[in-house]
Amino acid sequence: MLRKLSLTSRLTVFFTLVIAAMAFGLGWVCLQAVERHFEELDRTTLQDKRHLIEDILSHANSSEDARQRLGEALSHHHGLYAQVKTAQGESLFASKGFASTPPSEKHERSSNVPRLETWLSGDTELHGIKFSVAAELLSASPLDIAIAVDTEHHRQFLIELHRSLSIYAVLAIVLSGLLGWIAAHQGMAPLRAMKRRAASVSGHQLQPRMPVEAVPIEMADLAQALNDMLDRLEQDFQRLSEFSSDLAHELRTPISNLLTQTQVILSAQRDVASYRDVLASNAEELQRLARMVSDMLFLAKTERGMALPHKERFYAGKEIHALLEFYEAVAEEKQIHLHLEGDGAIEGDQLMFRRAISNLLSNAIRHTPVGGKVTVYIKAESNGTRITVENNGTAIDPQVLPRLFDRFYRADPARSHPDHDGAGLGLSITKAIVEAHGGAVTATSENGKTRFTASFLLP
Amino acid sequence: MKILIVEDEPKTGEYLRQGLSEAGFVVDLAQTGTDGLHLAQHGDHDLVILDVMLPGLNGWQVLQSMRQSGMQMPAMFLTARDQVEDRVKGLELGADDYLVKPFSFAELLARVRTILRRGRSGSESTILKVADLELDLLRRRVTRAGKRIDLTAKEFGLMELLMRRQGEVLPRSLIASQVWDMNFDSDTNVIEVAMRRLRMKIDEGQEIKLIQTVRGMGYVLEAPEGV
Repeated sequence: MLRKLSLTSRLTVFFTLVIAAMAFGLGWVCLQAVERHFEELDRTTLQDKRHLIEDILSHANSSEDARQRLGEALSHHHGLYAQVKTAQGESLFASKGFASTPPSEKHERSSNVPRLETWLSGDTELHGIKFSVAAELLSASPLDIAIAVDTEHHRQFLIELHRSLSIYAVLAIVLSGLLGWIAAHQGMAPLRAMKRRAASVSGHQLQPRMPVEAVPIEMADLAQALNDMLDRLEQDFQRLSEFSSDLAHELRTPISNLLTQTQVILSAQRDVASYRDVLASNAEELQRLARMVSDMLFLAKTERGMALPHKERFYAGKEIHALLEFYEAVAEEKQIHLHLEGDGAIEGDQLMFRRAISNLLSNAIRHTPVGGKVTVYIKAESNGTRITVENNGTAIDPQVLPRLFDRFYRADPARSHPDHDGAGLGLSITKAIVEAHGGAVTATSENGKTRFTASFLLP
Repeated sequence: MKILIVEDEPKTGEYLRQGLSEAGFVVDLAQTGTDGLHLAQHGDHDLVILDVMLPGLNGWQVLQSMRQSGMQMPAMFLTARDQVEDRVKGLELGADDYLVKPFSFAELLARVRTILRRGRSGSESTILKVADLELDLLRRRVTRAGKRIDLTAKEFGLMELLMRRQGEVLPRSLIASQVWDMNFDSDTNVIEVAMRRLRMKIDEGQEIKLIQTVRGMGYVLEAPEGV
């Protein structure tokens, strides 16, 4: 149940409970102290009267005299009752309304300070003591004496005090609940501010950030983490929308070519050779489009991390050797020497691995000048295998390097449509494949050498 | 050879029928899964080409029913969906191949022929011949009009593929897959270059050119009529 309460209510409830416990505790302690104090007062009063009675009884020369003197001594003391009895039970003196003395367990004759007892006389509660006095002039045996004071006054006071304290406590609790709620509500203000800020974030509007400086330290970390998340999302969104517009652009040109070409050919009678020619050209263009679409799908699937159909352990050397054989003819055409050094194990999908490295090789051969050299280094490391494809050629602008792996990115816009050059997806496919294997790709270019490195992790 | 196509998209179905008929096959076309199954049960087909998404029964259900009623003819799936699970499911059901749309017709044709050629291996001669071109598989030697031609190992493989499938247009992807074992579309001109070099060795200076490029489709090795 507590789980469903809002943070504010929770804090308010806890705060109120603490205040309630404190108020009631304090009240109880207070009442106890006052009660003890009243008892002490009663004891002192009774003690005084005891001495007085002892004095009177020891000086009285007859029962009559004693009764009279006791009556005088006690009459002006309101709420004080006394009873004097002989050992035989004959009453020598009794205050009005104090006829019967409750039976006492034992008379503490010897004790100087007898126990304070609580008696009920009718409705009134009395505090009293019992003691014995030896009065040779009046009786042979000691007299049993009981004196008591009415506690009604004190009781009234205590009731009053109890009531006041209760009212105060209840008021304090209510008030503290209210203050607690206000304080919690105020304390939560930064959270609400963050909520409002978050509510204003949408796909179209990714700029708002959490006010890191304006929130308390406890929440600054959270705000920062949220901001980082928003940064990443914004970047991804940016890339996604660039990608969509790139895609539209990439598709627009070939489709418009196809359409124009087809319509021009259809607009007049032509010989069979022309039709054949156009259809063949259309077929080539359409194949390019088809490949682009399947590349895009492949990329999307790989990036979503759902395509590692087969996982097996194989050796990079063998696969790359096969790839070099594949590229041999193209390399020979450009008099490029292909080299392979080292070997290492890869755990992953063999076909995807080939595809990834194939793109690197094709890219390297394309950018190597005639008579150049492409070398593949395979380096087995403790946590995986690193494959570096190195070629000599003109240096690539360092600012361009990280963008090489972007979809549709072409370092040289002029070369955007050569025969059998891909749509600019090759390196991003390589990146997606390597990342699907838990690895990373990097590119460097210095001293006339360009290196693409793919690191595959071994579990 | 008789092929059954089950495809609900009318244009695709019609073009497939036309293309395969012109390639020399007898073709039946059904537009729903139910019709397809019916035709399969009553015709004597050598191959069934199935679209996955079909009205009535889907492609998988059709194949399943076929297999349950004991029909073991090869089957090939065509689909616009390229999910690994789909592929696995198709192959588990006993499909022989799986083509993802968009595919090129040359690719389809080449694969159809590959499937139909399976199980028909029989006694293959160790010497392949097209016109005056001879390929000796055992001695790994190629001669044209009696003159020996030096080929690299891969060129020999390429030559063998072209000769075994003479008269068939072979798309680049099939060549890359069969000769180099590269089973993915690559954006390079490797095949063009390799074919160009092979052609120089085989056809250069010859009156009759055996290797032809079919634009937009692929390559074919063919002896001109009457040779």
